[in-house]
Amino acid sequence: MRVVALAARLAPRTLGTLAALAFGVPGTVGPAAASRPPAAVHLGVVAEEPNEPDKMLRIFAELLARLREQLQPRAVRVGGLVIARDLDDLSQRILRGDVDFVIETVFPTLALQERTHCVEPSLVIFRRGQREYRSVFFTRQESPIRELADLRGKTLVLQVLRSTSAFALPKAELERAGLTLVPADDLRSRPGDVRYVLAQAEVNQAIWVLHGKGDAGAFNDGNWAALPEKVRARLRVFHQTAPIVRGLLSFRSGLDATVRRAVEEALLRLPDDEAGRVALFQAAGLTGFERLTAEDRAGLRRWAPVLRPSQAR
Amino acid sequence: MRLGRIGARYAAWIAGLSLALVATALLAAGFIGFRQSRVVQAEIHAAVDEARTADEEAALRGTARYLGTHFFNALYQLDVQRLNEEIEQVRIWLPITSFLVVDAQRSILTDGTPANGRYGEVFAGELPGEGRESLLLARRGEQTEIRFNISSGGVQAGWGVVTLAAAPWQASLRRLEERTASSWRGHRASLLSLGAIAFVVTLGLGLLTAVLLSRSLARPLTEMSRAAAEIAAGHLDHPITVDRTDEVGDLARAFDRMAADLRAHEEALRAERADLAAKNAELERFNYTVSHDLKSPLVTVRGFAELAGTDLDAGHVDRVRQDLRRVVSAADRMHRLLDDLLELSRVGRVVQAPEDVALAELAREAVDLVRGPLEAGRVRVEIADDLPVVRADRRRLLEVYQNLIQNAAKFACGDREPRVEVGVRRDGPERVFFVRDNGRGIEPRFLERVFDLFEKLDPRVEGTGVGLALVRRIVEAHGGRAWAESEGPGHGATFCFTLPQG
Repeated sequence: MRVVALAARLAPRTLGTLAALAFGVPGTVGPAAASRPPAAVHLGVVAEEPNEPDKMLRIFAELLARLREQLQPRAVRVGGLVIARDLDDLSQRILRGDVDFVIETVFPTLALQERTHCVEPSLVIFRRGQREYRSVFFTRQESPIRELADLRGKTLVLQVLRSTSAFALPKAELERAGLTLVPADDLRSRPGDVRYVLAQAEVNQAIWVLHGKGDAGAFNDGNWAALPEKVRARLRVFHQTAPIVRGLLSFRSGLDATVRRAVEEALLRLPDDEAGRVALFQAAGLTGFERLTAEDRAGLRRWAPVLRPSQAR
Repeated sequence: MRLGRIGARYAAWIAGLSLALVATALLAAGFIGFRQSRVVQAEIHAAVDEARTADEEAALRGTARYLGTHFFNALYQLDVQRLNEEIEQVRIWLPITSFLVVDAQRSILTDGTPANGRYGEVFAGELPGEGRESLLLARRGEQTEIRFNISSGGVQAGWGVVTLAAAPWQASLRRLEERTASSWRGHRASLLSLGAIAFVVTLGLGLLTAVLLSRSLARPLTEMSRAAAEIAAGHLDHPITVDRTDEVGDLARAFDRMAADLRAHEEALRAERADLAAKNAELERFNYTVSHDLKSPLVTVRGFAELAGTDLDAGHVDRVRQDLRRVVSAADRMHRLLDDLLELSRVGRVVQAPEDVALAELAREAVDLVRGPLEAGRVRVEIADDLPVVRADRRRLLEVYQNLIQNAAKFACGDREPRVEVGVRRDGPERVFFVRDNGRGIEPRFLERVFDLFEKLDPRVEGTGVGLALVRRIVEAHGGRAWAESEGPGHGATFCFTLPQG
């Protein structure tokens, strides 16, 4: 996943207006609206390409259509997709009551929780069959790097600041190993720091490492398996983190309990038929949902201070 | 309807000819259509080729320039994800079979697919470079390969090597060819359908022609042929019913006239044969009668001549004288017989020129000629006033009345006053002249026999028996008929004859 820098440079207000016009985003609703049952529930996502909303619309269109079909008998209306430019924008929309549920990985979810205090993870998501994943550190086959400590003074190729497996988790793993991760262009960096560059996409991370734009890279084991064979063959994994849940579906706290239950049950039933499975898979490779267990919640609580979600963008 | 052989043959010819004509026309139309479609196809090919050669390279250069610029940032930043997305987009609007992005070290960075199977391979082919052509264009069959620089501001980030499937114009041409082929297939199917229809129509036309020809030409000819066979077999009354005004009708009518002439000749021949047979019979009877009746006086002459000799030897002069008288009488009788025969033969040979004859006057003249026997028998003769004038041989017709009146006088009945009536009656279109008496009458079975030569129903009656035969011979020589009527003995007899009018 990636965020285009141009979007970040645009004024938030301008983007919000554009999004409202272009995507049918509901009008501004005050904080009080958070306690009222919405006229329709809205899924919120962060745009991978802020100036290309069609991509996100394509990804989630079928899922929303299936949800509409499932929830119509229960008098729950499913509204249009709310596309935010980044986590801050998404937080604001949640607070305004424009967004009722989100699907994100652990790191952004924790960030939204921290910023809004009204996001409650409810379901664990399965992506391409994975309930949990881990980050792997890789380098070129011929590289002398063998462990995390060898990354001192080296450049690590990561994806985007919002990524769990390709930024937050590696960062936390490095800090736990006593290493400091700093932007490559940070003039205050020290020689022992690990510098990082953002390649915007997993495949780019691998290519950059192979072409010397970085010494190593880190993303999740699913990305590693999905690399082209000829690319993966030239790389080598030298470290991996502990597992973490693949992703979370979270509800806005103020959402009517009946509506929330109806949405949960509809999502849990989606993989029961072929059309539902297809709709799920179109949504970035989702394959199912499962209710969050106590163990999962305990794990999240453990990860929260480690991942330092306040830094997420 | 049964077809004559001529009709069937003509029909077969016409059907075959029509079929050949239709088939030729269809083949010609099909050939022309096919040729025309080929010509049009070739012209379109040429036009498209011409347009292509003029525009294609410029279009490809423009495309390469766009791609070279558009891909620069992504390649320069090694943003393979972005490159792959761009390639995916380009595939939507270009018929790309292969897309390679080669980095500045000639190493293949991506082929635009998730598998990126050629990653890392060194591209060995020629690539456009600085100071050289910024575009290399090569055609391999229907595919076109373009190799272009991905550069900006003098910085060479790499190259793009794109293989395009059939260009749009080629696809259009192929579609055109497919369309033409499809059109030709349709055309051919239409031609075959038309051929089948033409065959059926021609067959129908042939049958119709056969029927019409059979009715109009063959059947009359067949009928005439049959009629000729019938006529040849002697059935001259076989008619030909052809009601037409053309040559066939003329032929049929000429045929009918010929048959009618033949029929008339046949009837004339038959009549002549019958006449000849009757004459032969009469001649036989005549020979017999003559030989018999002439023999009788001769026998008498011979007998009394021998008696005279015997009586002379015996010295009986008176008896000799008596014998000689009888010899003379027999000779006289024989003389009369021969005179009558001579007269009878003349009737058939000697014909006087016909003239207007007033029959009443003629009848009176005949009565005068036989006045002697009439007065002797006290016979009263009544001659009708309305007897007409006819054209005939006056002398012979006088003989007719003379014989008939004399015959009536001979057979007067003793118990009543003899009366002879000469008159005329109308019997249909014919005028029947008659001489009626109230004499002894004739048994019906003898009505015809009385006209035979030397026939005498009563031998006691005087005469040679030639009179009535002479009457019939004269009347028939005039073209008429003669016959006798009687209700039997005691009822009198009527002798009738007719004469042709005019």
